[in-house]
Amino acid sequence: MPRRPVKLGWGVRREGRSLWTRNAVRGISVRGERRKRDSRIEWRAWDPTRSKVAAALLLTGNDASDMLPEPGSTCLYLGASTGSTVSHIHDHVCGAGNHHGGQVVAVEISPRMMRDLTALASKRPGLVPVLGDARIPYAVAPYIRSQADWMHQDLSIADQAQTFVKMAGAFLKPGGTGLLSLKAASERSSDGDDDSRFEKAARILGESELEVVERIDLAGLEDQHIVFHVLLPATD
Amino acid sequence: MSDSGWPELDEDEQALFSEATDRLARRGVADAAADFDRRLDMLSSAASELRASWTTSEARCVEWAGLFLAELDLDGQRREIPCAVAEAGSIDEAAKALGISAPEHKPSSAEWEALRGHARGVVELTGRLETAEDATRELAREYVPTLSRVVGPLGAAKMIVLARGRERLARMPSGSLQVLGASGAMAAHRRGAPPPKHSPTLFSLPQISKSPRWVRGKIARFMAGKCSIAVRVDHFDGEPWDEEQIAEINRECENIRNRFPKPPKRG
Repeated sequence: MPRRPVKLGWGVRREGRSLWTRNAVRGISVRGERRKRDSRIEWRAWDPTRSKVAAALLLTGNDASDMLPEPGSTCLYLGASTGSTVSHIHDHVCGAGNHHGGQVVAVEISPRMMRDLTALASKRPGLVPVLGDARIPYAVAPYIRSQADWMHQDLSIADQAQTFVKMAGAFLKPGGTGLLSLKAASERSSDGDDDSRFEKAARILGESELEVVERIDLAGLEDQHIVFHVLLPATD
Repeated sequence: MSDSGWPELDEDEQALFSEATDRLARRGVADAAADFDRRLDMLSSAASELRASWTTSEARCVEWAGLFLAELDLDGQRREIPCAVAEAGSIDEAAKALGISAPEHKPSSAEWEALRGHARGVVELTGRLETAEDATRELAREYVPTLSRVVGPLGAAKMIVLARGRERLARMPSGSLQVLGASGAMAAHRRGAPPPKHSPTLFSLPQISKSPRWVRGKIARFMAGKCSIAVRVDHFDGEPWDEEQIAEINRECENIRNRFPKPPKRG
């Protein structure tokens, strides 16, 4: 018996343990994922074992829709790689032909990854590929139209937390949502075991102006990874 | 940073913007080919992969031919064997070309075809390996002339690849350079084993591998310091060293070796 889909946002829904986004480019899979038709809408499977954002959406203890950007908003994605997660965010934020008028700025430093990302962006209006260093605000600033409503960072560097605080300070809109994917192995240069590295990151986030909403352990889907869901409190 | 204050774009402007970002990204991807670090990485890695497969294939070819040609001198004639088998029409012809008598047991025709095909592959692989290594040497001599003189162009290329770029190598402390590539030994060191004395690249230098083991660490430390200065000379537009300076380095290595003629007493 098929499970009833739960709507997480305009273009994202959950069916049991699987996530689907409304495909913005009909008939095309980005990385060979499953597609299915539901009346006139085509849905594309969002694999939680390959995307940390998807894994976090499934494993969160809070309302998963709070972690998603609004359609039509401005999103910043640091460490986009070949863009498989980015494509799902784009599905939701921009929609087919960018009829929502959203902007997803995807920053990636490796030309090899950017190669695939540009091919993706040429089919998806609203997705802005940026070849540059995601740790440097002025490398990103010319491309983003306003402050970001939503940002995600997934870089394979040590000191991810510090970079995240810096970039969120530069680009996140007050009231905006941030997700930080942390991999223990990337923080290897710092001392201690994996848990103490996560603790250190949590402390850095806690000392900043960001407010940690939830710390999601991705064990089971992606071992030794943690996603921090943070909020930049709105200033009155 | 305050709001970047982009104006609202109309449809045409939006199209221009996305065209521009697309072109910038594609240009950036194309510009990666102008990066000598990446080019050296491809060349040097191709050369070392070819070297690895050449060693395997060449050994198999020699052993295979040697199985049938029992009179063959596998050490003295080693270099002729792949060529002779590749060019012969039968195992008897190969034996004749190598100056020995025809074998008692002969391979079936399908077996001979496979053996000869394999030998041809080895001959071709030898050529490809030489081309790749020559190209690596040429690029390394141009990109890091001084370091190439100190550790040889192939070693210099390998060091840059391990450090992921000339700039990173130039900014590395000499101690890191000394153990560059000895990552397994460094991991063991973190768990309490004694520290590695030298990286594989440094060990391949005759100054170190031909020295008695108790001075290898001392010479490696000295050479790592010299390498570190050499790559800085190359990266930050210094004056490349000449033969006289290289000779001085070799003399100093000799001095270190002469100062410690006996192994240290175990205490």
